[in-house]
Amino acid sequence: MSNPTPTPTPLATTLDCSGLLCPLPVYKAGIALRRLEPGQVLELTTTDPGALEDIPAMARQRGDTLVRAENHGKTQVFWIEKGTQT
Amino acid sequence: MTTTELRRTTSSSDPKVGRYGDIRELLPDVDNPTPLVRLNHVVAAAELDVYLKLEWLNPFGSIKDRAARYLFEGLRTRKELAGRELVEASSGNTAIALAALAALEGKKLTVTIPDGVPDEKKVLLRMLGAEVWETPDDLCPVDHPKDGAIALARSLAASEGGERYVMVNQYENADNVTAHYETTGPEIWRQTEGAIRYFVAGFGTCGTLTGVGRYLKERNPSISIIAVEPQPGHRLPGLKSFAEAKEPGIMDRTVIDEVVPVDDETAYATTDRLWREEALMVGPSTGAIVAATYHLEPEAQGLVVGVSPDGGRSYAGYFAERLGDAGSPQI
Repeated sequence: MSNPTPTPTPLATTLDCSGLLCPLPVYKAGIALRRLEPGQVLELTTTDPGALEDIPAMARQRGDTLVRAENHGKTQVFWIEKGTQT
Repeated sequence: MTTTELRRTTSSSDPKVGRYGDIRELLPDVDNPTPLVRLNHVVAAAELDVYLKLEWLNPFGSIKDRAARYLFEGLRTRKELAGRELVEASSGNTAIALAALAALEGKKLTVTIPDGVPDEKKVLLRMLGAEVWETPDDLCPVDHPKDGAIALARSLAASEGGERYVMVNQYENADNVTAHYETTGPEIWRQTEGAIRYFVAGFGTCGTLTGVGRYLKERNPSISIIAVEPQPGHRLPGLKSFAEAKEPGIMDRTVIDEVVPVDDETAYATTDRLWREEALMVGPSTGAIVAATYHLEPEAQGLVVGVSPDGGRSYAGYFAERLGDAGSPQI
């Protein structure tokens, strides 16, 4: 995981999936990303460690860019930039 | 009898009177069976008497009415309903029956529904008050199971401490099998007066195959239980290919004598024939099941019962694509 750096911009929306087990965060993130314009960023918070594998794989599969991911142990935070083809 | 007196005695003990106090009284059982109707044109051989059990005449429109009633009552008996919402993965029919039962009880149902389910079914669910979560099969991006809707329903049930939802879980819940062991199987045995030799149903949750198969084998072990399996990537809602989907926990392969693969084109072509030659307005899974009777061994004879899981009205969009311009004026 990368070291903390300033929040990627342009941040368009945040989604808190704390307490939700995978694949529920993947599903909700997919809906949130569909509502964004290409280039806009979703900040996603999760608590299921499975998200560390699932969210990067989801971003690759959808053609989005995982700008940054932070693992804080009990929580994980992801910044996903919506791609142009999704 | 006055209207007031009628209201006091809502249902009649005589089924021929046809007066019911609640839609649930129309759910089938051995004394109120769904009809068996003979096929007179779409049959593989003269030696075979093929009957379809018309499950679309159930009150909520499919064979899943049976499972839904038993699943719902099982949850109630185990006191799993109190204070919780229902969640279930379904390709439509189970969810529709569950949504109807939930509506009668004032319960909320969330349905995770796979890609490719006809829009008509999603609308029916929403009309019944259910919340519909359309789910891509490949939702889980890491291990790519073909069961995204099931995985999503499981994660909903397990999230938030597991307090908000109870998952009906038709794929793992033995009440699904019991429904068919106690209703569909005995109905068929009585309706055929014990003469059934082949029973044909599709791979899906496998509640029907396991429950009916077990009941019929106990009555006569020589009855053949035939399972119909679609091809991977098929477009036959309700059926499952176990080359791409996980086998349900309730499936008992020991009661299945033969698995017949059926491709989409054969299933839809047979469905066309059932509409046009038998006036049976069935869904495409019935076409697959009838097509499988053409693969019985050449020396097969006797009475065949196939399940007709649902009717065709919910597949109008699918049929419209297939029809193209057929049936329109050719000017």
